[in-house]
Amino acid sequence: MRYFTWLLLIGANLAGATVVAGLFLATEDYSGDAISWHKWTAISSQGVAVALYFLRDRAITILRSLSLSLALLLVLAGHYGAALTHGEDFLLAPLQLTSEEPLSLADAEVFRDLVQPIFESKCIACHQEGKIKGELRLDLLAGIQKGGKSGALFVAGKPELSLLIQRIHLPLEEEEHMPPKNKLQLTEEELEILSLWVSSGGGFDQKVLDLPQEDPLFQLVSARFSAQKSYSFSAADQDDVAELTTFFRKVRPIYPGSPALEVAYYGSSAFDAKSLAELKVVQDQVVKLNLSRMPLEEADLSLLADFQNLESLYLNFTSLTGNQLKELVNLPKLEVLAISGNTLDEEGIKALVSMRKLRHLYLWQTGLKEQQKNQLSKALSTTQIDFGYEGNGVIYALNPPKIKFESTLFEGETEVSLAHPIRSTEIRYTLDGSLPDSVSSPIYKEPIVLNASTPIRARAFAVGWIGSTDTKELLIKKGIKATTYNLVNPPNPKYAAKGAASLFDGIKAKANHTTGDWLGFSEKPLDITVAIGSAQPKLLEVSFLLHEGAYIFPPQTLELWIGNKGIWKKVTIPAQASSTKVEEPRFGLVSIPLPAGPMDQIRLKAQPISKLPSWHPGAGAKGWVFVDEILLH
Amino acid sequence: MDKEFLEQGLNHNRRKFLSRVSLGLGSVALGSLLIPDLFSGKKEAEESLMRALPHFAPKAKRIIYLFQNGAPSQLETFDYKPQLVKSFGQELPESIRAGQRLTGMTAGQSSFPLVGSYFDFNQYGQSRAWISSLFPHISSVVDDLCIIKSMHTEAINHDPALTFFQTGAQVGNRPSMGSWLSYGLGSENENLPAFCVLLSRGKGNGQGVYSKLWSSGFLDARHQGVQFSSSEDPVLYLSDAEGMSKNQRRRMLDQLAAMNELSYQEFNDPQITTKVQQYEMAFRMQTAVPEITDVSKEPDAVVKLYGPDCLVPGTYAANCLLARKLSENGVRFVQLYHQGWDTHDNLPNQMIGQAKDVDQASAALITDLKQRGLLDETLVIWGGEFGRTNYCQGKIAPENYGRDHHPRAFSIFMAGGGVKSGMVYGETDDFGYNIQENPVHVHDFQATVMHLMGIDHEKLIYKHLGRRYRLTDVHGKVVSDLIA
Repeated sequence: MRYFTWLLLIGANLAGATVVAGLFLATEDYSGDAISWHKWTAISSQGVAVALYFLRDRAITILRSLSLSLALLLVLAGHYGAALTHGEDFLLAPLQLTSEEPLSLADAEVFRDLVQPIFESKCIACHQEGKIKGELRLDLLAGIQKGGKSGALFVAGKPELSLLIQRIHLPLEEEEHMPPKNKLQLTEEELEILSLWVSSGGGFDQKVLDLPQEDPLFQLVSARFSAQKSYSFSAADQDDVAELTTFFRKVRPIYPGSPALEVAYYGSSAFDAKSLAELKVVQDQVVKLNLSRMPLEEADLSLLADFQNLESLYLNFTSLTGNQLKELVNLPKLEVLAISGNTLDEEGIKALVSMRKLRHLYLWQTGLKEQQKNQLSKALSTTQIDFGYEGNGVIYALNPPKIKFESTLFEGETEVSLAHPIRSTEIRYTLDGSLPDSVSSPIYKEPIVLNASTPIRARAFAVGWIGSTDTKELLIKKGIKATTYNLVNPPNPKYAAKGAASLFDGIKAKANHTTGDWLGFSEKPLDITVAIGSAQPKLLEVSFLLHEGAYIFPPQTLELWIGNKGIWKKVTIPAQASSTKVEEPRFGLVSIPLPAGPMDQIRLKAQPISKLPSWHPGAGAKGWVFVDEILLH
Repeated sequence: MDKEFLEQGLNHNRRKFLSRVSLGLGSVALGSLLIPDLFSGKKEAEESLMRALPHFAPKAKRIIYLFQNGAPSQLETFDYKPQLVKSFGQELPESIRAGQRLTGMTAGQSSFPLVGSYFDFNQYGQSRAWISSLFPHISSVVDDLCIIKSMHTEAINHDPALTFFQTGAQVGNRPSMGSWLSYGLGSENENLPAFCVLLSRGKGNGQGVYSKLWSSGFLDARHQGVQFSSSEDPVLYLSDAEGMSKNQRRRMLDQLAAMNELSYQEFNDPQITTKVQQYEMAFRMQTAVPEITDVSKEPDAVVKLYGPDCLVPGTYAANCLLARKLSENGVRFVQLYHQGWDTHDNLPNQMIGQAKDVDQASAALITDLKQRGLLDETLVIWGGEFGRTNYCQGKIAPENYGRDHHPRAFSIFMAGGGVKSGMVYGETDDFGYNIQENPVHVHDFQATVMHLMGIDHEKLIYKHLGRRYRLTDVHGKVVSDLIA
């Protein structure tokens, strides 16, 4: 009991001393509700403590109620005291730490999101309403701009002259060092951010994203913010989203966990314009909608006007009309609009002119005239407009047309058609081996019917293009089937095909001497006799391969005899042109009219070129003759 | 046979076990007793990881990879080295080569004479990037490009290097990049394969491409690249057989699916499900593909943009146009290969031909995506499997020379899809032989590409034969400098 009495006395006295000390402290830099609550609860506790000492012998009920009120008052005084030193909401602050989505880089501001949080966590406890140390308030913009007792908080652009920067960089032991020694200190990064903020001018509405990329502040902090855009609206019902997704329409979050949705349509033949209305249940969540290539003639786009959060809209090649475009004018968040491939009328241009908030606008293939383009560029001065590539003024060469036919060797007659992938081209051709030109050569209209071996050459021409190079084919008519023949010299064993039979098999080899269908001669000439049956041929045709790069030339000499009952007669053959340069592999056909008169045998001799000409890389070497077919008509 | 049945029984998966052996909560408890891992969440955790793909907001949605097969020389395209022209014919200093292994094709050469580019270089665009005169069209879109001059790889021959680039390993049997993305991100358009492959061939010295490059490896077969034919009919056998109506085919597929389901019940082979899905996809492709492969409705400006060859099936230009059409229709990964860049000799001539094939169409693809507003979400990649030596292979003349394979430094470029535009990254030494700053390894490149697609390359994992596999194996660092 005695110890208890002593304890009460000491407690009451200490309480008194504390109150006196507190009153002295309260005269400097404090104001507001918390200080007066703290003051009066503290004074009351001291009073109750004193009363408790003097009334210690009274009834137990009085003692109980006094002790209870003392405990209560102490808790209150303590709480308000702590509020003064640690800030108003110190008690609940740890509970309020919600795991918020990181702020997106696009929204981040230098002051609001970088500087202010430092003030709030490290400085504001002593520099705010209620406790304004050094007459500096950091809880108000005005206070930050005004500064404190010792002067302005900072000098814009001059960190070395700024009190803020000086104080935080003083050695820890210095009295002036901020935050005071026993308080939580600034981290290196926070020191850096404050200095860089001041040197950049100490503005209050600078956006992080607007800083130049090489700015040290940007490099220091940009990684803190999410590159992802954050959205404040609530997510759509998952079942709704799942239900909207079909094989032809994909609805999904722009990334997992995001409430924002993107919608894309696929397959124009499966598109039903009415299905757009089904998107109504997610109209608040859709930020991106891709309807490119869908036939929108019938579509009612007025329902898109309710898509308040729509940011990107793709409507390329949708047969969009100006009236439909008008429905989109008031979309508040629309930033990207792609309407390439739709012909724009005056209505459409008028609609676009009013869409000043657009950041990107794609207008390729919209049929705009120069003056309309200028009008749009002027009206939408902050929009990046892409008019795309129209190919005006550039002239390229066309590619050659294609010659289509059934097979190189034909029986009786055959049809040849010419085609070019560009519809607007004109195809001109020749059948005499000369190069087609754009004036005199016939224009191809319908399939050409051939009834003799014919060289075909064709070129394509079109307005706005340079005429193509030519494409050529040699079609060969099949002859009388020879049955008896004799090859005097065997071909080179590497290029022997199936022997002489290959020359009469009616199969045209490809333009490549290694296919195994060609007979090649180099050391010895091609020398062959063919027995003629009852039908007397009027024409002999020999199909050669020409490929200078592989030393394959036309024969140096070509000789022909016709024989009748053992008497041979030489036929004069006009001189054959030889190669003059290295060209791609191709076919060469020699046609020799046979003289009338009875014959039972013919003999053909083709001598390979003995010395390649001087222009050839292999000048002086022996050339080759390659034959794949001999035809008698 | 008994053994197979026993194994098949053992292979019954967890879900089957629960639904078949036991019904109701009590048996679930039993299940958990018998399979201790059942509720420990290990497997679940991995699955939910996969479900959460992409791991973060992607910058690129789709990729078009213009693979220049055979390895175009960096020294005649993007890596301007005037020093090599000055040192024509001089020996490659050993201090530069530093013991680099050579291929069998030049290892026996008694001398390694330096040779500079036959083609002039100029600076273009805002970025003032150096590009050779071979690429007038690519130069005109230089401000959309992100040129990396400091790529390096581990392989020195075509097949392993190509396989390494595509699958992350030099040996075959791993899934290709496109398969990984198909597996991780799925298809955007369910009516088309997520991974398509288009081949073309230039006149230059060619190197083969093989289907293992677009194989799905150990991933499900539906992630395999679908190779389009270079004929006029890019996907064969799409039309219904004569006399068979659409409805009949539908009924046939339904019957077939029912039978396959029975077979699946019996054998639990996941390939059966895949097969059914493939049949269904093919059915939907019957309408989707003709819409896309029909180029006859393309405006004339498009034909001029890509060059008239774009209408000739099987050319690089036609493949670029088709790639754009597939991509805008939601194909996740379109892989082109253009053969013919293996210039061991006669380099200037061969490169002129190759450049003529690819220059206009490559630039056109970028412009075309851009004018539709699609470049921002489509990543275009252009490059080969390695670089070429700064010394000459074979006979040397300023206008006729060859270059051997060089893995230590080479150039590629990317465009769109969230990479920085108008950027030149990395630098090689004056000899164009070694990287001087910012090296980018193939695995780094793969990690970066996956990052752009919203995937953490360390988290896209597939467990196979007792170990976990990634495209980047245990390597790869995202090159954040390249990301816008």
